[in-house]
Amino acid sequence: MRIGSFKRVGLLSFGFAILLASIPSAHGIPAFARKYGLPCSACHEAWPMLNNFGQTFKDNGYQLGNDRDAPIYQEPSYWPVMFRTTPIWHRENNNRQAVDLVPGSAGSGLVEASVTQSGFDLGGVDMITAGTLYKNISFFVQPFIGNSSIFLNQAWARLDNLAGSHWLNLKVGKFELDEPISQERSLMLNNTGGVYYNYFFTPPGDKNFFSGIGLPQLGVELLGHSDNDYTRYSVAVVTDSNGATGLPSNQAYDVYANFNQSFELPKLGSQQIGVYGYFGQSPTFFQTNGGNPIPGTGMGNRTFYRLGAYGHWYVDKFDFYTFFMHGLDNVFLGNGVPANQPALLPLGAVGPTWNGGFVEAHYNPNPRVIVLGKYELARMTRQASPVIPTSTGNLDTWTVGYRWYPIMSPRAGFAWTQEYSRINNPGAAPLSGKDDIRNSYLMGFDFDF
Amino acid sequence: MKLKSKYTFILLCALIVLSLIWTLHGWAGPADAPSSLKGTVKFEGAPPKPSHIDMSQDPLCAKAHPTPATTEDVVVGTGGGLANVVVYVSDGLASHNFQPPQQPAVLEQKGCQYKPHVLAIQANQKLDVVNSDETTHNIHPTPSNNREWNMTQPHGMPLEQTFAREEIAVPVKCNVHPWMKGYIAVFKHPYFAVTDKNGNFELKDLPPGTYTITAWQEKLGTQVQKVTVGAEAKPLDFTFKQ
Amino acid sequence: MRRNIQLRSAAVMIVSILWSGIGLAQESHVGKLAGNAKRGKALYTRYCVFCHGPNGDGRGESAPYLDPKPRDFTKAVFKCRSTPSGSLPLDSDLYDTISRGIHASGMPSWKPLLKQERADLVAYLKTFSSAFQEEKPAAPVEIPPESPATPESIQRGAQLFQSMNCWSCHGKDGRGYGPSAASLTDNRGYPIAPFDFTSGSRFKCGESDRDMFRDLVTGLDGTPMPSFASAMNTDQRWDVVHYIRSLSAHKAHTKLKIEAIGQ
Repeated sequence: MRIGSFKRVGLLSFGFAILLASIPSAHGIPAFARKYGLPCSACHEAWPMLNNFGQTFKDNGYQLGNDRDAPIYQEPSYWPVMFRTTPIWHRENNNRQAVDLVPGSAGSGLVEASVTQSGFDLGGVDMITAGTLYKNISFFVQPFIGNSSIFLNQAWARLDNLAGSHWLNLKVGKFELDEPISQERSLMLNNTGGVYYNYFFTPPGDKNFFSGIGLPQLGVELLGHSDNDYTRYSVAVVTDSNGATGLPSNQAYDVYANFNQSFELPKLGSQQIGVYGYFGQSPTFFQTNGGNPIPGTGMGNRTFYRLGAYGHWYVDKFDFYTFFMHGLDNVFLGNGVPANQPALLPLGAVGPTWNGGFVEAHYNPNPRVIVLGKYELARMTRQASPVIPTSTGNLDTWTVGYRWYPIMSPRAGFAWTQEYSRINNPGAAPLSGKDDIRNSYLMGFDFDF
Repeated sequence: MKLKSKYTFILLCALIVLSLIWTLHGWAGPADAPSSLKGTVKFEGAPPKPSHIDMSQDPLCAKAHPTPATTEDVVVGTGGGLANVVVYVSDGLASHNFQPPQQPAVLEQKGCQYKPHVLAIQANQKLDVVNSDETTHNIHPTPSNNREWNMTQPHGMPLEQTFAREEIAVPVKCNVHPWMKGYIAVFKHPYFAVTDKNGNFELKDLPPGTYTITAWQEKLGTQVQKVTVGAEAKPLDFTFKQ
Repeated sequence: MRRNIQLRSAAVMIVSILWSGIGLAQESHVGKLAGNAKRGKALYTRYCVFCHGPNGDGRGESAPYLDPKPRDFTKAVFKCRSTPSGSLPLDSDLYDTISRGIHASGMPSWKPLLKQERADLVAYLKTFSSAFQEEKPAAPVEIPPESPATPESIQRGAQLFQSMNCWSCHGKDGRGYGPSAASLTDNRGYPIAPFDFTSGSRFKCGESDRDMFRDLVTGLDGTPMPSFASAMNTDQRWDVVHYIRSLSAHKAHTKLKIEAIGQ
């Protein structure tokens, strides 16, 4: 349930703005709390963020495994559906918005001005129905209802515990990748801090079709885990379509893999380390009709990858996510040049590379309060073309906030949230080429019922 | 002289021994000697008819009763005496630490019923549970102030248990034979009794004093009376109504 | 009035000091782990309180909707123990129950929690009853090596199932419909159903043959399931285990290891 639109400043490739516009960050399913009589805090460190018990429940195919998973055990009032909506008040500021010199006069010339917007808002409604169809067959359907749109964020079915083993679970459909740190479960909702930028990072000028590991994808996933979820792996093969339904535009498959291992340190708590990688191919040109691309005919595939490592570290009531990503796009992708026309590549063109990462800290003194802080950065290490300034595409952003859960109940979730976030894109101001800085303040209620 | 002093010495010794005995017996003299408090518990009105117990699920139980066994929750004897009432001192005793008696109490399972139906014992007194039936029982006290235990007991198996804390009274059941119900009242002192089939009871060796005496019946509740026990105690009667 | 308040706050302070000093001084020891009740309390609030209740009496907000009911820790009576009937459980027994969960109840497996966290929870739930301060658990029962699960052993087990009156609750065919089944209650007066041995479902206190053997020795305190500690000898108990296993042999997912054991 992202508020407003997420755009990397000035750099939009292929126009996935609509898709990105409403990345619903969902989850925290009181339908399950209702089903089992457990409070939110049993599965969530602070919802929607999962703790290991909740992660195990999810990995088990939404089954506790105590013979009480079949819906037939539940009271007739049990209905495996939940809604989440977030009425808020927010204030957004952009220090260098391009505006007409004379408001209303299109020809008066553009200048940069600080623009502030504020008011009450609503992030839309997430609807989630999930659970088990039968023992070891689970499902998840999540339509997102926005102000003027409804779309399917996720829909999948999963065969759990194949051959009686936790190590084999097969998921098919549109699903969130087994990300290092779940984008959908982000504790932050605000306009500039509500996403993990690294998950969606694309270098300046890049025409890679792929929009990042933060989007739900269409494909199959094999996932396995130990009894207590300390060891987990997942491998997914997805169509390179950013989860868009219909016949895919591309003729390419991508592979995502993730592995993590937790261990217990005395006095500190759980420590998790993990590695992940996304390896894909993206088309560089299409069959055309009068120059217009014919969908489904993508060709001239070129490779790209995102890989890195991460950790989740507990120090008693504090916990920290650390995340690192290294990315590379092929030279044709990076320069937006069709592979059948290499002559169009600028002199000295190379495949862009970059590094990024973030640290997110939580202080969780009790299940009702979580204090949040996040710092994220991305640094280009090699631009696609020598004409692009070295710092273009870099970003620095931080967010602070808290979520307070005044009611802890198995019936519904309710959080009071306040956040402040700031992002700096150096050199990205539309006219002056100075730093583009945005601030976002949000306070409101997060309802989950 | 020598002989005389010898007699004097013996006399002195006798006096000392006597006085020692006197002392041990209590300085206050014979007026404070313990006495016994007797009485009767009556049931007023028409006694409820005991109902028959259907033991047919276990033929080994059924065959022990040529005529059907009856419930024992209210047992009224001839002359209206109420049996299975626990009568005990509930207040007025100095806080002594009473040692449990050496003699173990016995709870017998016979004809798939508890004998006695109501048993009173002292805390930490040994309780011998006996199964005289051919069938296998499980004896399952369900206390609120003691540890709960639950033991299977085939015929002839010895079983010895204790209860550590006072509790009036611990229900006892056999899960195998759901009709089997009994009570074990546990006291921290020895001043208690269970009425016989004619409703008679006797609290023995009660030191003189003023006491609160309580009568407890599993179904009819409790009754309380104050008594003063002197050299002789007047009979104490309780009357229960439905 | 002010004096009154001072007195009251002093009293509150003393009580809270005593509470933190005595109530939460409870510890647990599971293997090398030392559980701490104070840390356990925070975990209890997070994970357990909605069923077992803030006072540990099993009257949490969700309790009315659960069957069987959540355990009342104030009674200090526990089903799954390695100690004789009537004894307190060992810390490791409570730890094992938390880790394993109780099958066919609302209690899930809490294995995803850290070992330390589970030990802390054990320490905290021992504070709900003074019994853990006043008494010591008895020594755990012995589980000798399993005898061979031969057809003869199963036959002997079947006879014991009769003579020990197991059938009065569990039924002649082991399906849990014995003549006394309908009368059974747990120690809080709630109806409780005898186990259906033909279901192939998992046993409450562990699935292995050794767990079943131990259940026969210790009984499940707080339920009508008695201890057979003196009622049967070791061989007889293994015979009953083998017989009970045979009742669910037709279930494909029950791993009956008759051939494998001792042959």
